[in-house]
Amino acid sequence: MKLLRADVHSLTGAYAVDAIDDEAENDRFERHLRRCQQCTGEVRGFAETATRMAFAAAEPPPPAMREHVLAAISQVRQLPPVTEHGRPPVRAFWQGRLPMLSYAFAAACAAVAVVLLIALIGTRHQLDRAQQRDAALAAVLAAPDSRASTRTTSAGGHVTLVYSLSEHAVIFASNGLPAPPSGKVYELWLIGPPRVRPAGLLGSGAPGRSGPVLARGAVHGDDFGITIEPAGGTSKPTTNPLVVIPLRT
Amino acid sequence: MRPTGTGPGLTEGKDRDLDGLLVLVARGDESAFSRVYDQLAGPVYGLIRRVVRDPAQSEEVAQEVLLEVWRAASRFDPAKGSAATWVMTIAHRRAVDRVRSAAAAAEREQRIAMPVTGTDDVAAAVEASLEQERVRRCLEGLTELQRESITLAYYGGYSYREVAGLLKSTLGTIKTRIRDGLIRMRDCMGVSS
Repeated sequence: MKLLRADVHSLTGAYAVDAIDDEAENDRFERHLRRCQQCTGEVRGFAETATRMAFAAAEPPPPAMREHVLAAISQVRQLPPVTEHGRPPVRAFWQGRLPMLSYAFAAACAAVAVVLLIALIGTRHQLDRAQQRDAALAAVLAAPDSRASTRTTSAGGHVTLVYSLSEHAVIFASNGLPAPPSGKVYELWLIGPPRVRPAGLLGSGAPGRSGPVLARGAVHGDDFGITIEPAGGTSKPTTNPLVVIPLRT
Repeated sequence: MRPTGTGPGLTEGKDRDLDGLLVLVARGDESAFSRVYDQLAGPVYGLIRRVVRDPAQSEEVAQEVLLEVWRAASRFDPAKGSAATWVMTIAHRRAVDRVRSAAAAAEREQRIAMPVTGTDDVAAAVEASLEQERVRRCLEGLTELQRESITLAYYGGYSYREVAGLLKSTLGTIKTRIRDGLIRMRDCMGVSS
């Protein structure tokens, strides 16, 4: 046990330079990090050190990039600050889902921002994003522990999940789900023993088929659920789930 | 507290300036963002180029990172580190995500086959600065295995597993060399731990 701890601790360097490619190992280290002040300090010092290395590698970016980026920001809504309860303010569109998502997928989920960004930066990016999303979906589908589950919901229609706990991701799709009542949306949830985390919204006014929606951050022991919530979604479910599907391997 | 005059390009004054600018950015100040851009676009692009190599892809990733800085500025917490580090952490992670994604698998094969760039590349970077000199000098102070491990992991975007494969060493050794090397670099560059 002691040996294991020393071993985990020696990962501070690799962690600080994003050199841990095994997600389970990375998660294990992050759990350790939360309890280990010394490691946290060390990782911060390493991150500052790495920043100096980044500055040493500075290169002038292509001149057109400045204009692109400065034009794009006016089209991208900013995240609200995290409040003292660790959640953004209640009416925020993004809700508490974002901290759960990796940066890479946060962009993909922020449909509006992405759509506008794509319009600005061009079709090459659109392709690229589609490829990234495809890659993310493919990673879940191809994961050795990938499982599929289809259930009917209490509102009718059925939902299908394909999930991989090693990829920490769930792909959601539905068929025949009735349109939500006016002013409401379907919200997806990862229901864990410690807490319930929002996992995305289904586009409103989309009866028939919807998805695939990629939800990230699934961990062992989670269930997946769907509820009807006010437009914009909530940070905690306020109605009974139409269906709950355990994510079991 | 670093002595003035001999400090690196990234002085504390500049750090504080960036921290303050990012607070303004979080409130939607677009002109503050353009100043952040002017200070950080070079390091962001340069770092991503080192990892991703392909200029077009690097530009895409750099744009994503800078937009993320705008979007998530409210999440920057000065208590947890400098603004520059917050941005560079996002940049490095995105660059690494790009090269590790399944779509990049094929390219990655080729990348591995390419000769490993040494620290000379750092010196060749366009923006000559004290920071650059300092990093180069500090890298030179490492053992060869430490230097190669850190260079491959940080500038190359390789996982420590891959570094172990490239350097024909054990996982435990590489893990330790990256950490020991970073400790030396940190102390050499006077980063407070």
